[in-house]
Amino acid sequence: MADTTKPDVLARGHTVRAYDQELAELTTLICRMGGLAEQQVAGAVDSLLRRDVGIAATVIQRDDEVDALEERVDQHVIRLLALRQPMAVDLRIIAMALKISNDLERTSDYAVSIAKRAQRLAEQPELRPIASIPRMASACVAMIKDVLDAYVDRDADKAMAVWNRDHEVDELYDSLFRELITYMLEDPRTISRCIDLLFIAKNLERIGDHATNVAEKIHYMIHGSQINRPRHEVG
Amino acid sequence: MAIATASAASIFRAPTAALPEKVSIRNVDFFYDKFHALKGISLPLHEHRVTAFIGPSGCGKSTLLRILNRMYDLYPRQRATGEVLLDGENILSPSQDVNLLRARVGMVFQKPTPFPMSIYDNVAFGIRLYERLPKAEMDERVATALQKAALWDEVKDKLHQSGLGLSGGQQQRLCIARSVAVRPEVILLDEPCSALDPISTAKIEELIDELKAEYTIAIVTHNMQQAARTSDYTAFMYLGELIEFGETDQVFTNPRHQRTQDYITGRFG
Repeated sequence: MADTTKPDVLARGHTVRAYDQELAELTTLICRMGGLAEQQVAGAVDSLLRRDVGIAATVIQRDDEVDALEERVDQHVIRLLALRQPMAVDLRIIAMALKISNDLERTSDYAVSIAKRAQRLAEQPELRPIASIPRMASACVAMIKDVLDAYVDRDADKAMAVWNRDHEVDELYDSLFRELITYMLEDPRTISRCIDLLFIAKNLERIGDHATNVAEKIHYMIHGSQINRPRHEVG
Repeated sequence: MAIATASAASIFRAPTAALPEKVSIRNVDFFYDKFHALKGISLPLHEHRVTAFIGPSGCGKSTLLRILNRMYDLYPRQRATGEVLLDGENILSPSQDVNLLRARVGMVFQKPTPFPMSIYDNVAFGIRLYERLPKAEMDERVATALQKAALWDEVKDKLHQSGLGLSGGQQQRLCIARSVAVRPEVILLDEPCSALDPISTAKIEELIDELKAEYTIAIVTHNMQQAARTSDYTAFMYLGELIEFGETDQVFTNPRHQRTQDYITGRFG
């Protein structure tokens, strides 16, 4: 059956204009959360690579801001549900905001976890550079950025492109895992530092998963159906 | 128009596909004199299910309801074409006994319409049109109808007081009792809650849910949430046409048509 609901339904405003403003505010809250989470991930990896505990401390501090925003999303969603009794695409936008904010909050938590390990690693002798970590990080940051763009633009195709990119992060994680095992076998004194790096890589891999989760929710939000391919899952 | 199939994620209610059609509306057109009010309407009313009709004022949903028990016959220069099959028989056929039809297809209106008589007689009135019953049996029928309309407990001690003395919500349930008393097969509800407070509305909605075990129900409502809550199927009409018909959860969470989407999300211009 021809799908005639999709084109520009979102471009047409509600009869009650305050409703449009409230939905726009919800989008703004999500974007602020996403922007912060993206900065945190970038900052956490930066602090790791530069061995800069100051940047790490900033990343850790900003977690409170993300948590506060998540709470505001919750309150805003509850208010919208109570006042507007949303239907169809509006209902999906509002319900998915709740889930997307949860993914972004988790992303922020992982960034904090990376920053804490970066602080610890900075106090120990430097390991040889591991190229996969910055590559994973930039892939993750790009995924968060692109998925947020897809969210703002209500662009399911853009979201799908992010969803398809998750395997890049997973592959980098696998190669990093093997690399670190080799180091640990070569020199057992590096074990504790390698394990920290392994956890950092795992956190980045999970951050990639959350970005793909957001992509799935954007798809549902726009089309009202799940992406009907099995989720690419690692670990 | 599009007939939507059951979605994989039928989250609100159990799948209701493949039910018998109690009423089949087929290619129905309706004219108020020269005004073409309904255009080529076709849809089923499934047995023991609630079908909601939604759409902006003047879209033809009440007109369609009035066809289902030939209410329009009461007015000159109104005519319907096409077929409405009730258990396979065309009720639009001139040979249809309309009194018998209206006993099989009951109707409840927007404003409660109690007759200026006792609660008991309001319910017995319809029965007396079709049947002569001994008093004990009539008492039983009246009591059963009032129980089915969830009004019995509130009126059992004042059956011989005037129906006009009841509250709006009670009056509406009295009208439902009156329509179920003649043991109809289909009940048509034309905005039954629009004049009621939220508690009375909730009671009627609860009642609709109970009544569908025995009857096939069609409801016209302007309250979108009510349509979503009470019905299994929803038909969205616009300017005399059926735009979309499908399972209620699909229509309200993921309508196929832009006009439906615009209407139910409050984007209608």
